[in-house]
This record gives sequence, C-alpha cells and structure tokens, in this order.
Amino acid sequence: MADRIILTIGTKKGVFVADAAKPRRSFALRGPFGPGVPVYSTLIDTRGTPRLYASSCNPFFGMKVLCSTNMGKSFTETKSAPAFPKDDGRALANIWALEAGADKKDLWCGVEPASLFRSLDGGDSWDLVPGISNHEHARKWQPGNGGLCMHTIIRDGNRVHLGISTGGHYLSEDGGEIFRASNQGVGAGFAPDPYPEFGQCVHKIARHDDAPGRLYMQNHGGWADWTGPGGPRPDIGVLRSDDYGQSWRSIAKGLPSDFGFPIVVHPNDADTVYVMPLEGATRSCPGGAPAVWRSENGGESWSRLARGLPRKQSYFTVLRDAMDIDRLKAPALYFGTTTGQLWIGREGGEQWDCLFESLPPIYNVKVAIV
Amino acid sequence: MGLAPTITIHVPGPLRMYCAGAAHLSISAHTVRAALEDLERSQYALYRNVCDETGTVRRHLNVYVNSDNMRDLNGVDTALAPGDVVTFLPAISGG
Repeated sequence: MADRIILTIGTKKGVFVADAAKPRRSFALRGPFGPGVPVYSTLIDTRGTPRLYASSCNPFFGMKVLCSTNMGKSFTETKSAPAFPKDDGRALANIWALEAGADKKDLWCGVEPASLFRSLDGGDSWDLVPGISNHEHARKWQPGNGGLCMHTIIRDGNRVHLGISTGGHYLSEDGGEIFRASNQGVGAGFAPDPYPEFGQCVHKIARHDDAPGRLYMQNHGGWADWTGPGGPRPDIGVLRSDDYGQSWRSIAKGLPSDFGFPIVVHPNDADTVYVMPLEGATRSCPGGAPAVWRSENGGESWSRLARGLPRKQSYFTVLRDAMDIDRLKAPALYFGTTTGQLWIGREGGEQWDCLFESLPPIYNVKVAIV
Repeated sequence: MGLAPTITIHVPGPLRMYCAGAAHLSISAHTVRAALEDLERSQYALYRNVCDETGTVRRHLNVYVNSDNMRDLNGVDTALAPGDVVTFLPAISGG
C-alpha cells in the first residue's frame, strides 16, 4: 500500500475517503462515514501507522471525533470530544481544525466558539489550552458568517500560529502557553479602525517547512470601495509575513479579487502559493468562471490557472479548508466546492479534471501520500 | 418531597449505542431536570448527546413528556408522574 494518494473529503453529509495509486489516474471513493452529519475538519495523520480523523458536527447530538485505523474503510468515535469545563459557560458548537502535535498521539483541535484543545492520547481525552481559550481577548471576538471559529493551527517548534475568524492571528513562542495577537498589517474592513490590534476575519494561514519565517494569509478582503469611517481598504485580503507572523504586508495586487478562503503553499517551493479568488459580495467565482491563481515569486505577481475548469455559469464557493496539495514531485492541487464537485489540478494546477461531480457540499479536503 | 416517581426514558435509535443498546431506561425523578441529572450520573455518554457541557438541552433536540413538548409545559422543571414517558426526539431541521 506504499505510495498511495489518499484524500479525506469532509462534507455536509459525512466524510468520504478516496485513494489512488501514484499516477492518480483514477480515485476510488468510499463513504460517507458519519452519514448525514457535517464534517468541517479532517486530518490524515501519517505519524506511524496512518490514522484518519474527522470531526462529526452533529446539530442534534453534539460533536464527535471519528477515527479510522484502516485507511478509511471504517470509522469509530474516539472516547470523547473536546468539551468546555462545566462552569465555563461556553458550549462546543463545532470542530474546525484537527492537527498533529509533536508525538504520535498528540492532537490539537480548534473549535467554535474559538478555543484550542489538546489531546495526548489520540483523541480519547481532551484538555482546554487556556493561554488562548481564556485569553483576555477571547470574550471580545465576534463570529463571522461561519461562526466564531479557530480554523488554523500551525506548529513550528515552540511557535504556534492560530487563525481565528473573527479574532485574527495569534502567536505563541513558548509552545502554546502564552499567546498574543500578532496582526500588524492585517486589515479589517468591517470596523472603523482599519488595522485593529485584533478582531480581523482571518480566513486561512499557510506556510512551508523550508521557510518557517514566511507565512501567507488569506484574510477577509473585498473592501476596496468602502466609503465609511476609516476609508477604503484595498488589497487587505492576501498577505505575507517574513518575520514569523510579527508583521504582514499585502501581496494581493494582480488578483481579480482579494477575497477568498483557502491559501495553499507548494510543497517543494516556498515561493509558490495558490489562492482561489471569489467575489467579495457573493463569495462565488468571479464572472462565473472559476480559477485558481498561482504566484511563483511569493506574491509579487499572479497567474490564472483554469485549463479544464468551467469557463462560465459556475457560481460555487471553495471554503477555507477545501483546497490542498499533495507532496509528489509534480504535485496536484485538489479543491472541493459547495456544489459538491471535487477537482484535481495536475502539474501544480496546470490541468484540471473533475474527480467526483455530485458529492454533498464540500467543507474540507486533505491529501497525503501513504 | 416524597418518593420520586418511576418514569421511563425512551431512547431513540441513534442514541442507543451510548447506553448499551437500551431502548428504554427506567429511572426515578420528580422533574425532567432531575431525570437529566440522573442520566448525567448513570448514563454519561447518553447524557452528553442530550445536553451540552453547560447542562442545557441541545438546541435541535426536543424533550417530550408523554405527548407534550416540555417547552410547552414547564421546561426542565416539568413535574413527572408515575408511568410518564420522557422521549428525546431530534427536531425537524436541517437539509
């Protein structure tokens, strides 16, 4: 089973798993697991024997964490899901991020309302991480349209980057004990102060292992024409940091829109980054013609990748966790749409093909080589 | 307050895996609140599907006492009588 490409696809109606041999000619699909229940986050944990995790966000019976130890042939619930202490007053509304921690059973989990949990036993028990969950800002964060969610967890040694919508970027430099808002240069279009200390609607953050000081951010853009207090805020939607997230600058020039949700970095080149611009007002493909945009110079310029994608009459949305890239030499991009299509962009997005046409609305796509 | 009346909890199919497959549970409780507190002690996994960590009945779940939704009675303080049946039912929602 070496060198297979495996995809986890979190949807409104459960999680699907697809896999293919290395040439990626054809993917076999299985699922849904946790049928009928929204899955906003998945994790393909390749530390040791691969494990697949999926959040199962049941509106009736609450949150579960599902785990598969047989490459997605079946899933079972872990012994517990994250939960706030009884006297905290908050109740778990959703699970937005599952990430691998340092050792084989260490998991990190971002939730709604925006808080961080950690498990040291593979998801069977969870502890609140107080440094961010009880941060002095935490009760001042506001929900975005998707809810008040912690959606991005990036670990880099003792540095931990968190993305919160709507809270901004928070950084710990001591392994997750103490966090501080780190949003210099990150704009907000929905507040009189265009550059507040915190409260930005960060959509996603990405980085490359070879360039740990470099981070890319898809922020909530679409404010170029704002005429209210604080004035217009063009190009605040796509940003880059070169100092470990201490400060950020726009790299949005050249894009058809600075609004979007996902942002993905090429696995073999820290200068190559991908976004999926959407119209700010409608959250859909500009002009009904979807395209992924790629920069090969860290955001200095952008090119449109749309060969094989519909040329018109396509008005789907690609959500924040619904795009990923595999780690082969000539990597393929994958994105899932709110209209249930899963697309593959071969040769780094040069040629697009639809793998699956009629899945439920897709919230999350992750890929790994196992 | 006298001896708590014995009532029946009807467990819907999707939740039976959290109480060893039982379709019905027999407990003694004066009110719905007391019944939920009993479940928290005796059937914690089932309880957590019904109530969130603050102790609130989940938003999209309805609790019926016989044929009445408890929200049309006295909420979790609805009094229970011997032989009452308390049923947890998912609300009609979603799509």
